[in-house]
Amino acid sequence: MIIQLTVWSLSGMVLLGSCKKDPLNNLTNDESRIYITNYDTTANFSSYSTFSIADSVAVIQDNQFAGRQKNGFDSLAIDAVTQLMQQRGYQKVGTKDSPQLAIDVSRIYNTSTGVFSYGDYWDYYGGYWDPYYWGYPGYGYYDPFAVGVYSIQSGALEVDLLDLKNAASNGNKLKAIWTGMARGEQVFNTANVSNEVTSLFEQSAYLKK
Amino acid sequence: MKALFQRYGVIAFLLLALGTAARAQYHNDLQFNINYNVNIPSGSFRDLIDKPAYKGFTAGLAYPITSQLRVGLSLGYNDYYQKYPRQVYSEGTGADVSAVVSNSVQQIPLLATVDYTLLKKGFIRPYVGAGAGVNFVSLDQYLGEFDNPRSSTHFAVRGEAGILIPLSSYSATAIRIGGSYNYAPYNKDGISSLDNWGIHAGISIPIR
Repeated sequence: MIIQLTVWSLSGMVLLGSCKKDPLNNLTNDESRIYITNYDTTANFSSYSTFSIADSVAVIQDNQFAGRQKNGFDSLAIDAVTQLMQQRGYQKVGTKDSPQLAIDVSRIYNTSTGVFSYGDYWDYYGGYWDPYYWGYPGYGYYDPFAVGVYSIQSGALEVDLLDLKNAASNGNKLKAIWTGMARGEQVFNTANVSNEVTSLFEQSAYLKK
Repeated sequence: MKALFQRYGVIAFLLLALGTAARAQYHNDLQFNINYNVNIPSGSFRDLIDKPAYKGFTAGLAYPITSQLRVGLSLGYNDYYQKYPRQVYSEGTGADVSAVVSNSVQQIPLLATVDYTLLKKGFIRPYVGAGAGVNFVSLDQYLGEFDNPRSSTHFAVRGEAGILIPLSSYSATAIRIGGSYNYAPYNKDGISSLDNWGIHAGISIPIR
């Protein structure tokens, strides 16, 4: 009887383990992606007129700067962000023309399955994007956002909007007033970049001149 | 490998059920019950998932105290799942997340049970039952492909009613059909309970 009941139980346990529906098997690549935006609720986005965007992207591997690149995906991402900023009423200018906003685009890779947060990413931000590039040598960066802790299993496209106009009054810091992140399957596929950047802007209706 | 284990698990399960049923000769033996369940979320559980769980079963042992009253143990399993279309979720501090959200909940209630059969004889024998014990809960909320898993243990109570249909006048093996209400307090993550209604159909087999 004991043996019989044990076999009953084991059979039941095998059945139990095989009964769970795996949600990941029911997601398309598009559905797997998430879009996260944060903005500074004290920022007045209509008070800015001009922006400049970096002409390459920073590649960040496990919180280490791995260089700047500009492949086909990167070009499309920069172009898409530029186009959408212009559609929102901002004028693109060069870095020497005193832009009021700076835009950095980054590709982030993390091969571990640990915990990732905006805070971790921003700890090294000055190493990825030297403030000198924006004409503010000696300044630091400041990320006020505390949310965004997720386990990570793939890459992320990150777009950061920095306030150059008020850098001095922000304690000599280039403060992030908006960040957008796209993550999920095939996030770096050139066929998806337009949709990813558009999604980030669509959920940020406040981002306009 | 998983499919192989699943196949052998089902085969072993069916062979044991048939073998046990064939040896059944006594009406007052220990009973083994196994039911297929469909469970329907109710209350605040519906904020998470409002679709029925079609993957569920309950298995239990019931020891006869009298010819009508049995006490025993019951182990259940229910797998709930629902995917929601892409939507922007605002966190209220300037943070917005656009995601396809998938909620996956598994409940495994382990209950001490008592059943009372209202009629000793007859082609259809109504019964009522109750159970109380622990509910092992696994709750996974996916934002896109990113999981936020949580596991916890809670109190659970079940009330049920149904009918037993003996396979013959001389057999204690019976078809078991009924419904239940499963009270499953949760009180975490903004969800007060994982209560659900259940309907079940199965078999009750005597074990010597």
